[in-house]
Amino acid sequence: MDFSFTDEQQMLRDSVGKFLEKSYDFDTRQELVRSDAPWSAEAWQQFAEFGLLALPFSEDQGGLGGSISDCVAFAELFGKHLVVEPYVASILLGGTALAVSANESAQQWLEKVQSGEAIAGFAFEEGRGTPALDQTRMVATPADGSFTLTGEKRTVMAGAEADILVVVARKGETGEPALFVVEQGSDGFAARSFTTIDGRSAANIMFEAVPALEITDDRELIERILNHAIIVHCAEAVGAMSALLSTTGEYAMTRKQFGVPIGSFQAVAHRLADMKIAYTKARSTLIYTTALVESGAASSRDIAILKGQTGKLGQAIGEAAIQTHGGVGMTDELNVSHYHKRLLALDAQFGAHGFHLRMVGQG
Amino acid sequence: MNIDFAPELEAFRAEVADFFASAPTPAIREAGRKTTSVFAPFKECMEWHRILFEKGWIAPHWPAEHGGTGWSVEQRFIFAEEYRKADLPPLLPQSLGMVGPLLIDIGTQAQKDRYLPDILNGNDFWAQGYSEPGSGSDLASLSCRAEPDGDDYVINGSKIWTTYAHHANRMFMLVRTSKEGKKQQGITFLLLDRMDYPGMDVRPIVGLDGFPEQCEVFFDNVRVPQSGRVGEENDGWSVAKHLLKHERGGGNAASPTLTRYCQRAREAAAETRSPFGGMLADDPVFQQEMGELEADIATLGHFEKLAISGHEIARDPAFPSMNKTMNSELVQRASTVMMQVSGVDGLARQLEALRVGSNVEPLGSEFDLISMPLYLNSRATTIYAGSNEVQRDLIARTAVGS
Repeated sequence: MDFSFTDEQQMLRDSVGKFLEKSYDFDTRQELVRSDAPWSAEAWQQFAEFGLLALPFSEDQGGLGGSISDCVAFAELFGKHLVVEPYVASILLGGTALAVSANESAQQWLEKVQSGEAIAGFAFEEGRGTPALDQTRMVATPADGSFTLTGEKRTVMAGAEADILVVVARKGETGEPALFVVEQGSDGFAARSFTTIDGRSAANIMFEAVPALEITDDRELIERILNHAIIVHCAEAVGAMSALLSTTGEYAMTRKQFGVPIGSFQAVAHRLADMKIAYTKARSTLIYTTALVESGAASSRDIAILKGQTGKLGQAIGEAAIQTHGGVGMTDELNVSHYHKRLLALDAQFGAHGFHLRMVGQG
Repeated sequence: MNIDFAPELEAFRAEVADFFASAPTPAIREAGRKTTSVFAPFKECMEWHRILFEKGWIAPHWPAEHGGTGWSVEQRFIFAEEYRKADLPPLLPQSLGMVGPLLIDIGTQAQKDRYLPDILNGNDFWAQGYSEPGSGSDLASLSCRAEPDGDDYVINGSKIWTTYAHHANRMFMLVRTSKEGKKQQGITFLLLDRMDYPGMDVRPIVGLDGFPEQCEVFFDNVRVPQSGRVGEENDGWSVAKHLLKHERGGGNAASPTLTRYCQRAREAAAETRSPFGGMLADDPVFQQEMGELEADIATLGHFEKLAISGHEIARDPAFPSMNKTMNSELVQRASTVMMQVSGVDGLARQLEALRVGSNVEPLGSEFDLISMPLYLNSRATTIYAGSNEVQRDLIARTAVGS
């Protein structure tokens, strides 16, 4: 057994880390979030040059044949730097869904997505209470050998910017969830875009008889795509947690009240200890589950344990970090609350921790 | 023991409820619904303040001779309950709840005459200048300095977390007038007539919800008259402690607000499908979580009612700290439930839709518009007015031998 990153993965981490340290510091990131641009085209281009955009795809599809642990290796850094670019949406969800389609135009889109010329999106959740495939309500109606989609998708990352969208919908009222492809700007497609609390561009999208091509209704395949995205989300969350732990530890040792560092008070010291325990739990679960998935041995319960634990522990760490920072933790200016908001958003997407922990409890 | 409210009180309740149903303007109601922290949107909140003043109901907790209503404790409680039920913007506490009662207790006649009328009628809004960048929990270590000079003090230093200082026209503050002896002994309590004295600079701080609520206030050789001092020079700590009691609760029922949050969570849950089948409101796990929360809120309500009735439990020296700790943590728990009910629908940042009178439609329901900002802002409740760590230290010191 070996759960460490390989030398190659470590090199990738180093180069991505160096780039982010240099070009994606918090102030630069905040300027980007406040600007009209949904994300940084330069950063996206840089990710393409690192090979990140082609990483998960097989070599015969022009990719690098990377593994899920390759993604985890750099995704922790994405979390640490609060990256707002739509990696999970465009590459891990939209891209890998396009990759299973034999359709020629889907393959052409995939090429552009890998090179960074095009952005893919993935329209899955439909608002409150729709965390998993079984809650899909959108219906795909058969029409002239293909389908039309009607319904609403919410909080679709890069939903307004994506050139091509993969949409989860049921084949008929009682059918199984399947994946469909829709092009941005199709008739009957209306996206209302917004910025999320953690600085990402998202949209709520109304579909009114939008023409769509089916990709697949293979449930195992769809779940695998979702699970990989969940793991990378959890890796981002763990990266955000590590940043909060170090920032908060530093603050507690330098901030003085009553003539001593506040970290010398037991109430604060024990909270720091709990934060560290929480981070260690989350990262252990992330790394072990990544290895399980890589070996093909992960069950849906394993994924639920990871998502549930990461969400719950992340929220606890974020809240503890704000409390330890006191007033300054309540400001928009400091990075602490932005990490917390990222953790909240990552928790809320693809089923919050309450949902997943209950799935675990159901056995 | 007697739990009943006298029958004539029900008529009073109806009178209050009728007024709350008819008096507020649509903008005031909108401000009430869009209040996502303890501080309501300023403009509409002050409009509402003035309407209550006209009615004679602005200061139920003040003595009648100073403009209070002369109501019994039961009437005050009913008023607070109906107030929360009506979803109205909570009145801002700094003037009515802090500096007003303080001046009534220990201000000079001249100070009372000068300031109380404009607190009541809403012409004035007071900011509270206590915390400093280096002095939060350890408030007594404050270093914003005031040097006597003729009939004036000259102030140098800064204050932080000064809520709505950018809206205020007056300010009460703690300054250091001596470095001799214990740190508590060189503090003086000052009233400032203006927020635009030469050398004063107010800078808003953007909070977690994207709005400026707190401020920093800088003082560069600001000259203010000594007649604004409350109490003796260097005795400001006892004045401030007197006031903290007002800030940390007692007499201001919070449980109706918490109950309202739970109602909102339940209403939203009734419209939300549970991923486990049926509606979220019928989901046993949700119900248990709500049950635990609502039982604790009910208990806080019992505690508040005992306190309002004058029960000895509220004369416990730890009462303000216990009240503050319970209340603040329940606000966090209730708003966390709201945030979790919203789930992904709470992730949009909707500054314009939150602004009162913007006429910008929220992306989803009004519940989803406010649940996340409310959750984020509620992270402050265990920090301000003395962090809960400090409160627990105080409570612990009274636990021995009680």
